[in-house]
Amino acid sequence: MTSRFSGALQITNLDDFITPSQECIKPIEIQKSKSKTGAKIKIEEDGTPFVLNEAGQSEKLQKVEITLADCLACSGCITSAETVLVTQQSQEELMRVFREKISQCESKNGVYSTYIAVSLSVQAVLSIAERYSLDPERALNKLAGYFYQLGADIVLDMTVADDFALLESAKEFIERYKAAKGGAVNQLPMLSSSCPGWVCYAEKTHGNFILPYISVTKSPQQIMGSLVKYHLAETMGLLPEQVYHVTVMPCYDKKLEASREDFYNYERKSRDVDCVITPIELEQMFNEHNVSLNEIHEKEVGKLVESQMKDFKNNLCGHSGSGSGGYAEFILCFAARHLFDETDVTVEFKNLRNPDFQEVVFQKDGQTLLTFAIANGFRNIQNLVQKLKRGKCPYDYVEVMACPSGCLNGGAQIRPLNNIQPRELALKLESMYQKLPQSNPEQNSLVQNLYKNWLGGEYTDKALAYFHTQYHEIKKIDTALAIKW
Amino acid sequence: MYIVEMGTLELKQTLNGHRGRVWNVCWHPNGTCLASCGEDKTIIIWGQQDPKWVVKTILTEGHTRTIREIAWSPCGNYIASASFDSTTAVWDNKSGQFECNATLEGHENEVKSVSWSCSGQLLATCSRDKSVWIWEVNDDEYECAAVINAHTQDVKKVRWHTNEEVVASASYDNTVKIFKEDPGDNDWSCIATLSSHTSTVWSLAWNKEGNQIATCSDDQTVKIWQEYKPDNEPGIVTPNNESVWKCVCTITGYHTRTIYDIDWCKTTGLLVTACGDDIIRIFKEDSDSDPHQPSFTMVCSMDTAHTQDVNCVQWHPTIPGQLASASDDGSVKIWFYNE
Repeated sequence: MTSRFSGALQITNLDDFITPSQECIKPIEIQKSKSKTGAKIKIEEDGTPFVLNEAGQSEKLQKVEITLADCLACSGCITSAETVLVTQQSQEELMRVFREKISQCESKNGVYSTYIAVSLSVQAVLSIAERYSLDPERALNKLAGYFYQLGADIVLDMTVADDFALLESAKEFIERYKAAKGGAVNQLPMLSSSCPGWVCYAEKTHGNFILPYISVTKSPQQIMGSLVKYHLAETMGLLPEQVYHVTVMPCYDKKLEASREDFYNYERKSRDVDCVITPIELEQMFNEHNVSLNEIHEKEVGKLVESQMKDFKNNLCGHSGSGSGGYAEFILCFAARHLFDETDVTVEFKNLRNPDFQEVVFQKDGQTLLTFAIANGFRNIQNLVQKLKRGKCPYDYVEVMACPSGCLNGGAQIRPLNNIQPRELALKLESMYQKLPQSNPEQNSLVQNLYKNWLGGEYTDKALAYFHTQYHEIKKIDTALAIKW
Repeated sequence: MYIVEMGTLELKQTLNGHRGRVWNVCWHPNGTCLASCGEDKTIIIWGQQDPKWVVKTILTEGHTRTIREIAWSPCGNYIASASFDSTTAVWDNKSGQFECNATLEGHENEVKSVSWSCSGQLLATCSRDKSVWIWEVNDDEYECAAVINAHTQDVKKVRWHTNEEVVASASYDNTVKIFKEDPGDNDWSCIATLSSHTSTVWSLAWNKEGNQIATCSDDQTVKIWQEYKPDNEPGIVTPNNESVWKCVCTITGYHTRTIYDIDWCKTTGLLVTACGDDIIRIFKEDSDSDPHQPSFTMVCSMDTAHTQDVNCVQWHPTIPGQLASASDDGSVKIWFYNE
């Protein structure tokens, strides 16, 4: 089976090489009384293990269950063994939640405990649009119709989260830039944080050397998680754990991001994003359940705030710049304006050694003031990291994505049909993305409204708590057993 | 009946210098010196002081764990060393003595093999992390040009085509894969998978023309693979206008343990193998051999060539019949094959 994770994660052993049963080093807690002779374990013919207690009676041994969070916190085998993902982040689990919801509705006269929210990312919608030959806006509304039909209470698009991520990143960059000019170390280059494949790789492989450079701004998926679980829930009079939040994302690695402990509220036993589903899986769901997307009744996506988007006809928006969300371009323009008073910036990316490594500079009066780059794909991540290690990295900011061509070519986007090359398809999605109406985060009234009415301002503790996160070095464990000649 | 004329393998010299097992030997491209490496984390460069081979230089402190393989650059001024410490070091001879001036980091764990392309502009490395990496050489700077995740298991060996920028890798997943750069996006992709071995493929060697590959395996066989280009004479179908590689010969029944290494002599066309049964064997293509179904005959079998596993064998680049071997017994040996 080929892994659907990005190359960056595959290299960190996050794959199916070692299945949990073989070499998992997660300590297992077994509730049993101490015996002097040690345990005797007997395997039945069907493979069920039994332990013989001192009285000679046999007890069935508990199966060890490994959650995705266990794997993420470990530097051992790190397995993506589908079984691990399937239990929490699969279309089967999603359908189970929808079915349960519907049976709740029927049995309790419409009184139910789970409110289901679905958030759609623009990259995933474009993948679906291309696959089913729909224009993007219609694809969005068809998908909304599909999820409402399954039993969703609200279907949202993620533009507002994309906008928050851009704004927060840009503000963070300004702070880092000023701190660096003031002599602080490890501020620049600021490295983007929205790609979980890259973040996971950095944590596992380069640890504390690289982590200080990674932006602490949450990814759009996790900002959406905060918005749904703590803003939407509140306005609906619900507790976070009463909301089941599904995101539709272009990338398998997003499942790992959603499973991070940083995005789990122990007190409320609630995850900011409960289930991540991808276009590849959606395609399978349509096929398995004989759904023809073209025949689905179109529905409008919901609104986070009632007054939202009165002036907007379109709901699906892109951003100027890369199809990964336009980080480098937005932050460059924002910084030019806030640091150098320049409002008229022409952003021209130049390809370096390959089309996945691009550079852009901001110059004023013949002086280069800012140098930004986009590094997509694992090979370019490598060269970036090595440049940093040798102290030869000339950049102030780098947009880093683990997939070649960035998020529009995410690992879980629907594969091209016929003989089209993945890069060709990515270019096609890129041009669709460029044609979308563009959202300007600084002029998004919903963003301003939420800063003001929900967070109490832009720099409050509440804003930090909901929009910022942290990273953790994962130390390698070298066991003699792991050596292979 | 075919009469086999057996040749003899004459031991010229045993080179002792390493502590612990010796993993690999590599002749300088002009044949004047020989490098070896092993468990003791050193590289020894041996030179000839007539008539004996003596230690010229010992390179230390480049690696913190076993050095698994070394490779001279085609120009002979650089040595690349692949180590279990997950790095590849590049040593250069500019100042008149070898110094480690670049360390290639990126593999997640043990680097198993390293190879220079014929131009010396590209390096390939492979690792237990299952990936093959391509590095571009620019003025002593090494940039990663590709990370290829095509194998499903540990990759044991990488070897560049004799005269093209095409690279082959052998793996614990029982296959050999061939990679080439896609000019569209400058990324590297797999253009052929050679599967027929039933266990780990430990090593491979290209022939002089680069249209055949010999592979050796834990399944105790050697296989010869033939390239069929688009519009080939026998009319073998080549989908997507890419060459097809077919196994055209399996040499079986000779080796009694894992075959760890194989080399194809560019001057004589002879094959030599290094085996876990401590024997060095030499094979010759029969004179009446059909090019699409070649047959090989064993012309030499040197029992107890070493007292333990033979890890590596390599033909001398210019002197026909001369070869070097390395073994778990801690020695390097220089041999001469007389027909």
